[in-house]
Amino acid sequence: METKNDNLSPQQSLDLIASMINQAKGNVGRSSFYFLLWGWLIAFCNFGMYIVLTFTDYGEYAPSVWLLCIPAWAISAMYGRRESKTKMVQTHLDRISMWVWICMAIVITPAWVFGGKINWMMNAIILMPVGAATFLSGIIVRFNPLLAGGVVFWISGIACYFVNSTDQYLIGGIAMIFGYLVPGYMLRNQKENHA
Amino acid sequence: MLRELDPLLHSQLRLGIMSLLMNAESAEFTYLKEKTNATAGNVSVQLDKLSEAGYIIVEKSFNGKKPLTTCRITKKGIKAFEEYVNSLKDYIKK
Repeated sequence: METKNDNLSPQQSLDLIASMINQAKGNVGRSSFYFLLWGWLIAFCNFGMYIVLTFTDYGEYAPSVWLLCIPAWAISAMYGRRESKTKMVQTHLDRISMWVWICMAIVITPAWVFGGKINWMMNAIILMPVGAATFLSGIIVRFNPLLAGGVVFWISGIACYFVNSTDQYLIGGIAMIFGYLVPGYMLRNQKENHA
Repeated sequence: MLRELDPLLHSQLRLGIMSLLMNAESAEFTYLKEKTNATAGNVSVQLDKLSEAGYIIVEKSFNGKKPLTTCRITKKGIKAFEEYVNSLKDYIKK
């Protein structure tokens, strides 16, 4: 690209701006890691809770499975740190996306911590903001499977109001498969195809 | 009467850099060089000019032992870019 300005017409200037903005579009596949990590983890925790509560006598120990979220937070933080070091550009949408998920985490944390006060009917509360964050991510990266994933979480969240506290874990686990894992793998495939 | 186009922005490489920075919170020197397909020396000179005008902030740091130059657009730069685009629209409408 040259620095001369003598022959740059207004139309050429606008075309140049449009082409540069087009160049600066983010890589939609970057976030697939988080969807897959959390999708597998939360699906495992939900199905684990359901199986232990339904088929065993060790129900009081079941909630300890959620402690797996602590190393997952650490892994997510380390991955995010490594990504930010290797990423050559931080777009406005990257920042918005990051804050959407941080807000989601803030909103759902009290439900995890004080779940006992609502008879452990956490999924009815948790799945709605998770759906909102997933849907917004779909808007940000323009990826329809994430929009569908967000809708799956909303429907699942509503369904949880109509079942008992054990069955809501089954709904939560299924919601994770279609809300996080399916779009997560599709995102990853898209990333590999664009690599 | 048509406004005069900002001479600092009415240059292919500087306009390209500013367009990229308008869309980013921050961008590394390597990224700007790669996307504009310009030489390192040329990008460096244009960044200095934009920085001297207060349109961008250039921060130098280290990523481990590797030197890192990061650029971000300033409020003044955003205003200048918006005015430049509005002037372009006026020229095209004419």
